[in-house]
Amino acid sequence: MKEIFEQFFRRARAFSTEHGVSTGAKVALSRVSLLALAATFELTGKYTQEMKEEIADWEDGRRVGIGVLPQGPYITVEKHADGFRILGAGLRDPHISILFKNLDSAILIFTGMLGAPMAVAENRVCVQGNNYHAMQVTRAMAIVQTYLFPGIILKNTFKRPPRLSAGQLAIKAKIMGLLTPKLLAALNK
Amino acid sequence: MIPKYYEFTCPVKILSGRKALANLPYELTQLGASRPLVITDKGIVSAGLLDPVKAAFADSDLDIAAVFDDTPVDSSNHVVNQVAGLYRENDCDAIVAVGGGSVIDTAKGVNIVISENTDDLLKYQGVDRIQAVMQPFIAIPTTAGTGSEVTSAAVIANVDAGVKMALVSTKLYPHVAILDLEMTRTLPPKMTAATGMDALTHAIEAYTCLQKNPVSDAFAAGAIRLIREYLVTAVDDGANAEARLAMANASLLAGIAFSNSMVGMVHALSHACGGVAHVPHGIANSILLPFGMDWNIEKVPELLADVAGLLGVDVSGLSRRQQALAAGEAVRRFTSQLNRICGLPLSLKDAGVMESQLPNIAKVAINDGALTYNPEEVDYEDALAVLKKAY
Repeated sequence: MKEIFEQFFRRARAFSTEHGVSTGAKVALSRVSLLALAATFELTGKYTQEMKEEIADWEDGRRVGIGVLPQGPYITVEKHADGFRILGAGLRDPHISILFKNLDSAILIFTGMLGAPMAVAENRVCVQGNNYHAMQVTRAMAIVQTYLFPGIILKNTFKRPPRLSAGQLAIKAKIMGLLTPKLLAALNK
Repeated sequence: MIPKYYEFTCPVKILSGRKALANLPYELTQLGASRPLVITDKGIVSAGLLDPVKAAFADSDLDIAAVFDDTPVDSSNHVVNQVAGLYRENDCDAIVAVGGGSVIDTAKGVNIVISENTDDLLKYQGVDRIQAVMQPFIAIPTTAGTGSEVTSAAVIANVDAGVKMALVSTKLYPHVAILDLEMTRTLPPKMTAATGMDALTHAIEAYTCLQKNPVSDAFAAGAIRLIREYLVTAVDDGANAEARLAMANASLLAGIAFSNSMVGMVHALSHACGGVAHVPHGIANSILLPFGMDWNIEKVPELLADVAGLLGVDVSGLSRRQQALAAGEAVRRFTSQLNRICGLPLSLKDAGVMESQLPNIAKVAINDGALTYNPEEVDYEDALAVLKKAY
């Protein structure tokens, strides 16, 4: 089974990066992926204990921008008392920015073909802002990915894939169910 | 194994050997400079290490325009802005850093302030934020450990914001690094041992971390071989010129390696030990290195087996996993030997850490960017477990 998935990832990677997926399609996929990430920030901040614990020490108003250089898309989320809220598209004066150097690199991560640590190791990402806070954002991002991606992707992208309890799996199902309306709402912001 | 993708940079011209400093004026001229600002610290001045630098200018038509000799152990944005003011007041056109990591990092900060014409380093935190063409910059290390003369990073405290700023850019590389025999000869045995173990940690982590690549591997392997061969001699007999120069080169090779492949959990824990319990960086690395190697053994057994060979372990008849385990043991034997010669601490307790500080050290360590590059996951509980073993 693992070999089948690895073959799929290899083909998908080759297709997306070597055989002329149009820039428009890459931008569209990146925009949807960023919205999904941002919406999952909100949902995990609201429903998961691990995200609540992770951001307990964050100051309210900390803004995190994520996007693709040089022309976007970008999105910014902000920490507040009850979790996160999406501020909208664009970089809105973020304290921490996680910026992919190009669309192809972004898509590798957004589609789960490359994990965040390897993306950093392969110099595909520029992290700007306070290093200490950036690591906190990285851990928060790992929680987001845990609840956003299927297990097979987590196995390929995490150093130590998370094992979710029955309760956490139920929350994951709930988050997946809530994600679609969240995405639609965010698209209208 | 070839990585799917990697990048490598080292634009630094390297001068190494006896009387290498004599070429300093020539190199400045090649860079189009004639009025350098020398940045150093009081310890360097009192050790007489500024004298050969000044002497290098005696036979040339260049003059040192100004000297700043008050760099503190932990430099700050205030110091950087003060030095930048001196640079402007004296119409300087180049920076020469003479010292260890703090002096060279300060010089990198000054270069940003001058080149970007700013007084606010805070906005350059992170990766690749510097756009300006940089001022000519020559680094002359006086320790053999940090490798700062060939790295693209600087860490400078921002006392106003209460943070340690990590500034990373290929623009921060010095144009020239000068390794002169005279500059490390006065380093005391314990500091020679600690800085040498810092270099060994750079090399081993560079060889085993996620960003490793064939080019950085070559530099890391070269560094490990030199350290294995010369560190004990340099500690035991500081006047041994060959050992001193070999260690300066080992530090430089390890610096090139880790500037391109980064470091991992040992450095994350070590930085935190420094921040929380004020353990000197090289000593913390020396204590934690074998524990970090053990922690990563399930993820990178082949690489650690390679390290065993580089450290001179007789690996005949051993399985690759046994070789990997032997690498950590070889480091332990090495540090025990240094302990006998100069008293290099072997545990965090011996280094002055209180057991009650371990949870705070672990908490700080998991927010260190170096953890991203570590092959094995390290969360708070993991970090605490490793610290307890090293205690």
